[in-house]
Amino acid sequence: MSRVSENSNTAALNYNLSKNKSRMEDLQLKGSTLKRVRKPSDDPMANIEAMTITSRNNDNSQYLKNASLAELHLNATEDSLVQITEILMKAKDLAIQQSSDFYDDKIRKNVANEVFQLRNHALSIANKRIGNKYIFGGFSTLTKPFDQSGAYRGDNGHITIEISKDFFVPINLTGEEVFFYEDTLSSRTPDPLDEFPVFQKSRNKLLRDEPIEDIQKNQEFIQSGRDLAAVDAQHQAQGYKQKSNIFALLSMLTSALENNSPKVIQNLLVKMDDSISRLITMRTKIGSITRSVENSKNSVEMDTINNKARKSELVDADIADLFADITKNNDSLQAAYKIGNATINKTLLDFIK
Amino acid sequence: MADLFSIGRSGLGVSKKSLETTSHNISNVNTEGYSRQRSLQQANAPHLKDGVISGTGATVKTIKRVHDQFVENRLQTSTSENGFYNERAVQLNEIQQIFNEVDGEGLNQLITKFFNSFRELANNPEDESIRSLVRDNAIMVTRDFQRARESLDSHARNIDRKLETFVEEINSYLDQVANLNQKIRSLEVSGNETGDLRDDRDRILKRLSDYVKIHHYEDNRGNFNVNVDGVGTIVSGIKTIKLRVGRVGKEKSLNNMEGSLMLYFDGRPSNAITHKFKGGRIESLIKTRNEDIQKLQNNLDHIAFELSRAVNDLHSRGFAGREVPIREDGSYPTQDDRGPLTGINFFENIKEVDGAAHALQISEDIQNDLTNIATGLAPNKPGDNRVAIAISKLQHQKLLHENTTTFEEEYLKSIADIGLKAGKADIDQEQSQALMTQMETIRERISGVSIDEEASNLIRYQKAFDASARVMRTAGELFDTVLGIMP
Repeated sequence: MSRVSENSNTAALNYNLSKNKSRMEDLQLKGSTLKRVRKPSDDPMANIEAMTITSRNNDNSQYLKNASLAELHLNATEDSLVQITEILMKAKDLAIQQSSDFYDDKIRKNVANEVFQLRNHALSIANKRIGNKYIFGGFSTLTKPFDQSGAYRGDNGHITIEISKDFFVPINLTGEEVFFYEDTLSSRTPDPLDEFPVFQKSRNKLLRDEPIEDIQKNQEFIQSGRDLAAVDAQHQAQGYKQKSNIFALLSMLTSALENNSPKVIQNLLVKMDDSISRLITMRTKIGSITRSVENSKNSVEMDTINNKARKSELVDADIADLFADITKNNDSLQAAYKIGNATINKTLLDFIK
Repeated sequence: MADLFSIGRSGLGVSKKSLETTSHNISNVNTEGYSRQRSLQQANAPHLKDGVISGTGATVKTIKRVHDQFVENRLQTSTSENGFYNERAVQLNEIQQIFNEVDGEGLNQLITKFFNSFRELANNPEDESIRSLVRDNAIMVTRDFQRARESLDSHARNIDRKLETFVEEINSYLDQVANLNQKIRSLEVSGNETGDLRDDRDRILKRLSDYVKIHHYEDNRGNFNVNVDGVGTIVSGIKTIKLRVGRVGKEKSLNNMEGSLMLYFDGRPSNAITHKFKGGRIESLIKTRNEDIQKLQNNLDHIAFELSRAVNDLHSRGFAGREVPIREDGSYPTQDDRGPLTGINFFENIKEVDGAAHALQISEDIQNDLTNIATGLAPNKPGDNRVAIAISKLQHQKLLHENTTTFEEEYLKSIADIGLKAGKADIDQEQSQALMTQMETIRERISGVSIDEEASNLIRYQKAFDASARVMRTAGELFDTVLGIMP
């Protein structure tokens, strides 16, 4: 039998009471915030997973914004392609009508006028804007891509947007791709990170981080920057470019009609067919990009919902469990109070009177 | 018959003395660290009279405190341990709050926001208002880096101040111990009881144990010595060797901070003992300051440094978002009257990792003119968003630690680390608390006062006192009888 003194008795009671009460306080905080994790130490791993999820959801809402913007641009591009195709079809119909000797020069003059109007319409589509941005100018979004003569003032930049993690889509077609018919179409989706060695390193781990290489790359890069800078000047020098575009085609048709020469008109028909089939190819391309944007939007939304569910699982308190715990803890606290009341300060002196 | 009187008187004296001891115990029932006392009675030396050995009554030989040195030592050890974990839990819980992002925005979310604002900029590189969004988000990131780093720094400085007051308290305990040593010695030389003084000394040693882990012993000349584990003797008999604090510059400090506090023995300023403490609050504080806080400081600096470097690296390749005059030969000026046209740093260039979280801020060029935010790789291409995209992609790029972790992973790793440590400290604290309570209970069981016991003793000694008084009355009556037969 161990000896019990007044202080050993109270110390034990105090310890149990304070332990009980601190557990109660913890449960109370959980209950009032309905959070299982309120500070990193409550569950360090859940906490950082929850933080990762928060960032991912922030990213996702940005990706959704990006995707809407991509859709806006892609739809505008597609509409323009449809309109341009229609114009060319109309011009082609007119050209077919006029390629025989059936009509005389007076009628051709009128038709020429109509074609000229078609050209102007095409030009206005080529200079279409979203907000203050021209959509067919490549990176030169603030300069009118085609001037009245039909010369291209833009560049061949492809603007890409990240619509879900590491998934970039081009959101524009350049004026060169759409309105020139002698250019080769590249099917490659441009990667906006190609120009930056820092991203190459990790993609191609074998390439070690060597400073010499970096400097070289940098020089190459500066060179390419200059090339790009000189694009405008080149364009003006290389006037032939403007001869092979749709506007030139329509101009040629106009002048052929004005000059009343069905031979030339016949020759132009082939080029028109080329342009039309080219436009259709591009519409297919844009269509498939739009679809992938839609798909990615759906999957990003799904991801966000799943993330939220997971985060709630990680940091939110389970209410049923919580109330069970509170009840249980409350009982043991009550018991401790009652037992304390029964044992503390009861001494022999109470009984010898 | 004279014997009867003296035997009776000795009984009265013994009972009275024991009653005194009992009342002393009862009065000290709630005194912290009090050990109950017992009067040890023994029979007086008998003497031979008429060939018969007769007893001569009782005497109180000594008053002894009931005390177990072994339990006392273990109590001190567990006090040190509890002091260590208690302080650790307090400190780490405070520190983790700096990084608490469970609700509300913290550094991690701000960094995500920063990168997303570059995504937004990539969507609309022509838009001036988005540039200012980018700048504002960048400023928020830099401020939060500074906030976190500053909080850590001030926490380290608070620890220094706390150490300073702790050292003062320790020194005052040393004086008290030495003082008691002297009193105990001089009283014991003259054969007096020192139970209460020894209790006092144990109480002070227990308080001392909260700060540092100690062990103590009495050497063969009767000097009472106190040693601090890992550091050395601080009390030897009536002599004390006090602790001192000093401040050192950054290079000499243990936590890479200017004016960091170091501990010395008084009079030996060249020999720092800061890192030698084992156990107790002092070690706990030093450990938190030198290891945990410093690790977080370094980590923040590392992230801030790499962030500024990586962003600058990409940003300086781009061209300012305004007209760049290209000359005939394709070359261009690098500067116009609104600032540089290319090679622009987004963040102020940081030279060294150390203190980078403090130094992180957006560059003056960006501060002064929003068109200095470069989005494009080519000049005069307002729609070119390649630089903006590249910067936004730094978010997911494994750039730190030899290209193995992203910024976020690195940051979250250190939060997980501090969270785990704080969680463990909480558990350790609870356990050491339980252990200490247990040791205290054991000590109280042995040395604590029980009112029941004292009450029964009170009755016992009172009855004995009554009986002894009866003995004297009987002796008196015997005298009367004898005197009565005299004519």
